[in-house]
Amino acid sequence: MSVPILKQADVLIASIQVAQTDEELLALRDRLTGQVGEVRARGVIIDVSALDVMDSFATRTLRSIAYSSRLRGAHTVVVGISPEVAFAMVQLGLELGAVSTALDLDDAIAQLDAHRKERAPT
Amino acid sequence: MAASGKAVLVALNGKGVRMANDLASEADNAVAQEMGLLSEQAIARRHKAVALGTEDLARIARIREAILPRVEEYAAAFFGYLGELDEAREFLRNRDAVEQARRLKTEHLVAMVGGQYGPAYALQRIKLGRLYSRAGLELRLFLGAFHDLLRRLGTTLLESAKTGEEAFQDFMSLKKVAFFDIGIIVDVMVFERERVISRQQEAIRELTTPVLQIRDRLLMLPIIGTIDTHRARMLTEGLLHSIRANRAKVVVMDVTGVGAVDTKVANHLLQTVAASRLMGATVIVTGLSAEVSQTLVNLGVDLTALQTIGDLQGGIEEAERLIGYQVLRADQRIAALPS
Repeated sequence: MSVPILKQADVLIASIQVAQTDEELLALRDRLTGQVGEVRARGVIIDVSALDVMDSFATRTLRSIAYSSRLRGAHTVVVGISPEVAFAMVQLGLELGAVSTALDLDDAIAQLDAHRKERAPT
Repeated sequence: MAASGKAVLVALNGKGVRMANDLASEADNAVAQEMGLLSEQAIARRHKAVALGTEDLARIARIREAILPRVEEYAAAFFGYLGELDEAREFLRNRDAVEQARRLKTEHLVAMVGGQYGPAYALQRIKLGRLYSRAGLELRLFLGAFHDLLRRLGTTLLESAKTGEEAFQDFMSLKKVAFFDIGIIVDVMVFERERVISRQQEAIRELTTPVLQIRDRLLMLPIIGTIDTHRARMLTEGLLHSIRANRAKVVVMDVTGVGAVDTKVANHLLQTVAASRLMGATVIVTGLSAEVSQTLVNLGVDLTALQTIGDLQGGIEEAERLIGYQVLRADQRIAALPS
């Protein structure tokens, strides 16, 4: 099942609700990076709270979404990693690198706001 | 009236003692069950381990008459021997336990030449072994006294046997029973000690690190004691769940109470921090002492991924700043408030 991408103001929100195959993840990456340009998004939020497994491929894909979105001018926040997933990722040595994380959607939006303020000329 | 009242009291007392004894033997039974000691096979295996066979039983039956009249004397000598040892003083001061042990020891000596070394015999040994470990008799002292007891038994056998050869054979048979006994008693004492250790570990585990909320969305995690893999896991899991439950943004992790930090502990800390970050929380580590930080540098542990601040106060202040709190003294606040 492909992941719906919602647009809220200048933020794209992708909420992954079911386990994704590697191909589906790649498709999500392509659609997201494409849309960042189309809608001139300044932020991307990827919600993974429904996932109970996060493997190395998913981690790498999230990282590449974040890095390529940044190149196109959007800051990415990964949201809703559960305690179990977080612990497993650390145990497996999976890292999200410089990708921002937040507890939930509220926090992610607050974080994007703060980020925008930092950048805005005062 | 008074007389009958007294009688009732005595009867009650008798019942109380019996109940206590029942409880104790119930515990002995439980230990025996837990150690898997009471099955016929386990006993048979133990007999085989000391090579206790039918000819030994025949010899023991023959020497029974020589031993039985002197069991009280032997039991007294056993505790007399302990009395000579400074280290056993603590044990001997416990009069009740010694009295009970002396009684059990006499029973033991009678049973030792009784020819029946089944579950009932094993249970008696367990009872005695538990009594020793409860009363704090060290294993080596017990072994010393037991050896002395064997020496006495050997002397008796030497007197009663017709030839030295026969006395030696008799003694060897008795020694097999003795080593069967020692095997059980050592196992019981080790088992009891392990049980104490595991109970203490349990107690320590129950003191697991609390995660405290000190402000809205600000958690504090004071770590005290040593961190091993198991504890690090519990700690991280506890913290991650608290982060979610309290919607924490910043966690101050204070390691002032952690005695030694080595590569392993540092890695555990790094993992905890990385996992918290995945959940969107920033972790500030405080309380790395001068020695600890030098050790870490010397070990070459890279802690640059950690946000560290010297003391807990500084950590909390930094955390407040990150969340956007500003703490002012009351008089300052009055001045600062718009009138």
